[in-house]
Amino acid sequence: MGKLRTAIRQATAAGRHAEARALRARLREAERQWDTGVEQPSAQPPLVPVREQVHRALTLLGAPTAAKMIVAVDESFFGGQMANTQLTSLRRDEEKSYRSAPGARPYYLCAALTSELLSPARGLLALSTWELPQRIIGPLSPRTDFLTSAIRLAEHLMRLESASTGAFRLLGQLAQNIPGGGDGFGPADPAKVIAAAGAELAVHQERDQMDRREAAARAADRLKPVERLFGTGLKSVRSA
Amino acid sequence: MNRLDGIRGGTPGQDHNARSIAALAANPACDRRAILDAAAIDKPLLMKRLRFDDRWGQSPFAIQRNQQFTDLVKANGAAHLLRLLRELLDLPIEEAGYVNLEDVGGHEGHLARHGHTRRVIKQTAEGLGRATILDRPLLRLDVAGAQVYLEPDVIAFQLGGMFHIVAIKSFAILDDQADTPKVSAAAREAAVYVHALRDVVGRDLVSHDVILVCPKDFTNAPTATTVDVRHQLVTLARQLSRLTRIDALLDRLPEGFSLDLETLSSGEIEAAVAAIPARYAPQCLSACELSHLCRKEAHLNEQVDALGRIVRDDLGGIESVTTALRVATPGEPVADDQAEIAERLRHVARIYDEAVA
Ligand code: SF4
Repeated sequence: MGKLRTAIRQATAAGRHAEARALRARLREAERQWDTGVEQPSAQPPLVPVREQVHRALTLLGAPTAAKMIVAVDESFFGGQMANTQLTSLRRDEEKSYRSAPGARPYYLCAALTSELLSPARGLLALSTWELPQRIIGPLSPRTDFLTSAIRLAEHLMRLESASTGAFRLLGQLAQNIPGGGDGFGPADPAKVIAAAGAELAVHQERDQMDRREAAARAADRLKPVERLFGTGLKSVRSA
Repeated sequence: MNRLDGIRGGTPGQDHNARSIAALAANPACDRRAILDAAAIDKPLLMKRLRFDDRWGQSPFAIQRNQQFTDLVKANGAAHLLRLLRELLDLPIEEAGYVNLEDVGGHEGHLARHGHTRRVIKQTAEGLGRATILDRPLLRLDVAGAQVYLEPDVIAFQLGGMFHIVAIKSFAILDDQADTPKVSAAAREAAVYVHALRDVVGRDLVSHDVILVCPKDFTNAPTATTVDVRHQLVTLARQLSRLTRIDALLDRLPEGFSLDLETLSSGEIEAAVAAIPARYAPQCLSACELSHLCRKEAHLNEQVDALGRIVRDDLGGIESVTTALRVATPGEPVADDQAEIAERLRHVARIYDEAVA
């Protein structure tokens, strides 16, 4: 398909319109075959509780992530179905459960903390089992986390025997915003995404890690265990 | 300021936002709007009291669509925006810091949030910190002596020591051509943010080029262009300084003038509004909540304003349609200062008569 696209571009550029039209038809046909050829995830998986769906998506993503993305990954990689709204009160519920019986559960869906104020970063969900620096959001962290997640999704796709079109499409959408990752049209090439995201990650990683470690040390020093998971701020102090 | 509060009486004031401040600049010549805004009169409530069944402003659908598009552009640490800025302005790869200024823990009062915004923006301006994209800054503006907080849905970003305002709008840019009235509205709004941001970091550090992010063609894919808002900034500054000199306008109002929407009868409200001179123009329809009222008034009074600014300017000085028609009729007596326009109108009337004869 890549070759076809190049041929179309060349034909259009050279003004060979009839040829370009014919090539475009072939491309459409190829895309159709590709779409049906890739196996759809097998029927609905047995009902998994929402918190477990979120847990498996976050485990795959490997970084604090916004609800929308968690839902998208759950759907295209695990065939799950969640609505964004199911995630809105999740963090609060988990905090309540943690406060009533700290550590009773093997994991909690918790907050990521901003590096400056150690307050919960708006809209992000994280796992309590992650190391503290991984749950800190410094200025560069949204970018490094985005790149890390893209790499992890791509690696996962390369491991799978068969993956849904949706999964490739999702990776394609992410890849278009990574320099050299892909043009955003059609399915992504996981190997290319890994290389491109890795290259940009190398630029930011050191500075980002520094910020995260510094803030994590501060958090470990100053925050109570519950605040380390759910952040500080007037609200949590008051309800504590 | 007491005079302005007195005018509003016990009715709660209406908060300003960038849209409402931008609308100020849409019709700078209108006293009515200037006074109502300075006194923070709740204009939608006023229209309701006068039983104008008005659904002014954006439809819920448009607001939702705008929100969805904004969310898309900002998703994943504003990944789309970062790509666009790298393409459009050659933002270096290393400059990828993203900070959401709304994240202030539990201290969510305007004052605290604004303080946080100021601090981070100043640090960034001094080259400290790693923020390049500053999302949702809470800015402040002095409107008629009142501190107005601008509820943010805007991004400031820094490149080479200069800040830029990024405005995200959901109207499409087709073949690199956006619908101009929408672009001008967006430019007016963005100018408000540029103005407010200049208050924080100083004039020279905020660019007059704003970055407009819109969907490309008929897709949902974001694309970006720069828009020069120098002109809008000048108009805005003029309008804001006019508001601070509101006293001169107030002096022309009758003693004890009140527009307390909760205590006055609708008849009294109508009379009070009518007492403030307006300058209706068809452009008001898209910029001012009062437009239906002012249009009706302009039509009733046969004001030439209702025919648009071009007609009004062409008729230089003649205010009503009846006068214009009289002056255009040969043989009617005209005042000295209308002699010139009378001659022109009569000339046009002659041509018209010959054409239709
Ligand atoms: S609608 Fe009326 S009040 Fe509003 S700007 Fe126009 S003339 Fe002024």
